[in-house]
Amino acid sequence: MRRVLPFNLFVWILLLLYLLPVCFMIVTALKPTEQLMDRNAPLYPAMHVSFEYQGRDYRLYHVPAGGGVRKWALIKPRPDTAEFIDPQHPETGPIKWEGNWRSLKGVYKFHIEWENFTKLFGSLLFPRMFLNTFLMTFIGEIAILTSSILVAYGFSRFSLPGGNLLFYILIATILIPEKVTFIPTFFVYVNFLHWMGTFLPILVPLFFGNAVYIFLLRQNFRSIPIELEEAAMLDGAGPLQRLFYVILPQSLPVVITVSLLHFFYAWNEIREVSLYIGSNMKLIPLSYGVQNYQSFTPIQNLVEASTIVVLAFPVMLLFLFQRFFMQGLVITGAEK
Amino acid sequence: MESATVINNKTSVAPRSSFETRYKRQIGLFLISPWLVGLLILKLVPILASLVISFTDYQLLSPDKIRFIGVQNYLDVFKDNTAAFVLWQTIKLALIIIPLQITVSIGIAAMLNDRRLLMKDTIRTLFFLPSIIPAFAVILMWQGFLDPGIGWLNRLFLQPLKLENLPAFSPAGDMDPLLFLTPLWTIGPGILIMMGAMQGISSEIYEAAWLDGAGRLTRFFKMTIPLITPAIFFSLILNLTAVFGGAILLDRGSTYRGELSSYDGYVNYVLLDLFHVGYASSLAWFFFVFVMIVILILFGTSWRWVYFPDRER
Repeated sequence: MRRVLPFNLFVWILLLLYLLPVCFMIVTALKPTEQLMDRNAPLYPAMHVSFEYQGRDYRLYHVPAGGGVRKWALIKPRPDTAEFIDPQHPETGPIKWEGNWRSLKGVYKFHIEWENFTKLFGSLLFPRMFLNTFLMTFIGEIAILTSSILVAYGFSRFSLPGGNLLFYILIATILIPEKVTFIPTFFVYVNFLHWMGTFLPILVPLFFGNAVYIFLLRQNFRSIPIELEEAAMLDGAGPLQRLFYVILPQSLPVVITVSLLHFFYAWNEIREVSLYIGSNMKLIPLSYGVQNYQSFTPIQNLVEASTIVVLAFPVMLLFLFQRFFMQGLVITGAEK
Repeated sequence: MESATVINNKTSVAPRSSFETRYKRQIGLFLISPWLVGLLILKLVPILASLVISFTDYQLLSPDKIRFIGVQNYLDVFKDNTAAFVLWQTIKLALIIIPLQITVSIGIAAMLNDRRLLMKDTIRTLFFLPSIIPAFAVILMWQGFLDPGIGWLNRLFLQPLKLENLPAFSPAGDMDPLLFLTPLWTIGPGILIMMGAMQGISSEIYEAAWLDGAGRLTRFFKMTIPLITPAIFFSLILNLTAVFGGAILLDRGSTYRGELSSYDGYVNYVLLDLFHVGYASSLAWFFFVFVMIVILILFGTSWRWVYFPDRER
């Protein structure tokens, strides 16, 4: 293998650049709020060091004075001058200094502000939202997987009336923009069925399968040699048994990929949630709750901290299943 | 994933009698019944209903005064300047962003598929990571990242190089850079599709080409790219529908007011702010027909450039 090292180095550098915003998110989430306002503050999470003098805390700055840079505590900020106290010799009293104290760099010490996270748990109902998201995602996964796998199996191994017509219709439904179906379905959900404020408008459609997943699964099922199923049939296996014992084990990577893709979609789903559940406080899932919080509290470190909380579980899942997931979705033109 | 070697071309068990065919058909129908039922009640009926609504002037605030006004709505769409403007914006967006998406996903997939790659799974997973971040968080994250005060772009790169600070940022207008950045940064599923296609190509072809003296670039552009045209086609259609308001595989969701394209936003506005349901429906249908025509053209020309392994030409 020639040039393994330069290539991998290139990939790693690219990856680092690519993930910089993510690093930014993590680092910013750990910063105390006041650090965000100071342009001269260091990039790593840090706290402005302060010194207690006469019962009050004063902040330290790097002050150029007397031929060097000293670390002094600012006690009297004035526009053009300032008074400082030397923390190491407080007995010498206030020191007058000429200059604009705002241009000075503060003395910072590395510090992780875990309180960002505890503040979140105080202002948002995380347990409730977690539960809601879990329910929505979990039930949704079961619904969509069951229906999509069944339908994909039907399309892949069985001759249907009309031949491939129904399959082409399946593909055609992928192309329909949501707008044309949205208006009537919304009215039905809200005015006829009175499902406003429940999970039903979101969950019920999932029991009917998703065209894209069905397509992917069907292509994968078709690539499994028919001989395996014939052998199972000789042993007396019915269709559902063949699906369960022959097809599914063989197509596990694609099934996992489809479930993960849907999981990420459902976990972060906001459009339908905001439409149908927004009014019902008790059922708000993570995505909507956190997004609301972020728009009301646009303080960067809290925003990033809340994002991390939302992301924790999906990221964990992603790395857990990465071996299956990263094999890619095989879409060939082969219509075998 | 290696493609399975098929000894014969059977894809379903050969029926031994007409009874068996009927039996198999029944099972098949039973298996696909969930989708079939869903098709009817979730797609066909609403489509017909919205078509009918688009011929009326149904307004949410005065639901009883509904009148059948025929094609008036559609004539209004043609006269609607905002719609025309917004449609043009969306087309421009599509023309720029879709080629970019496909190029970037092919590029990254080629890189992640290379035999020389160490720690394959981890690196691929890390590249996929940004695409599972919720859309609103992505925007806020990038805003923070580009912020002149605390953002890393300015602090880490521009300041040390003494370059200009980027001005403070807020999503404004239709052509703000974040609109292009976000779909590209969260291109995870697109990479998956391309990667899968590349893995489906057997390595013997490459070896044969190498024996004939083909270099890396030749092998990539004259072999890999043509062989993955089915995936490119699939991705093209998917991205097209995503830009034009379909919500599918690559959709990470924003609120019903958030949208990727301006035309979407306009329809939302008419529907949810003005409550002109009838007109909104006609706008949506107009768009639908437009997109359908584009897609049909794509399908029609596909035989020229998409590789179908079964067709002997």
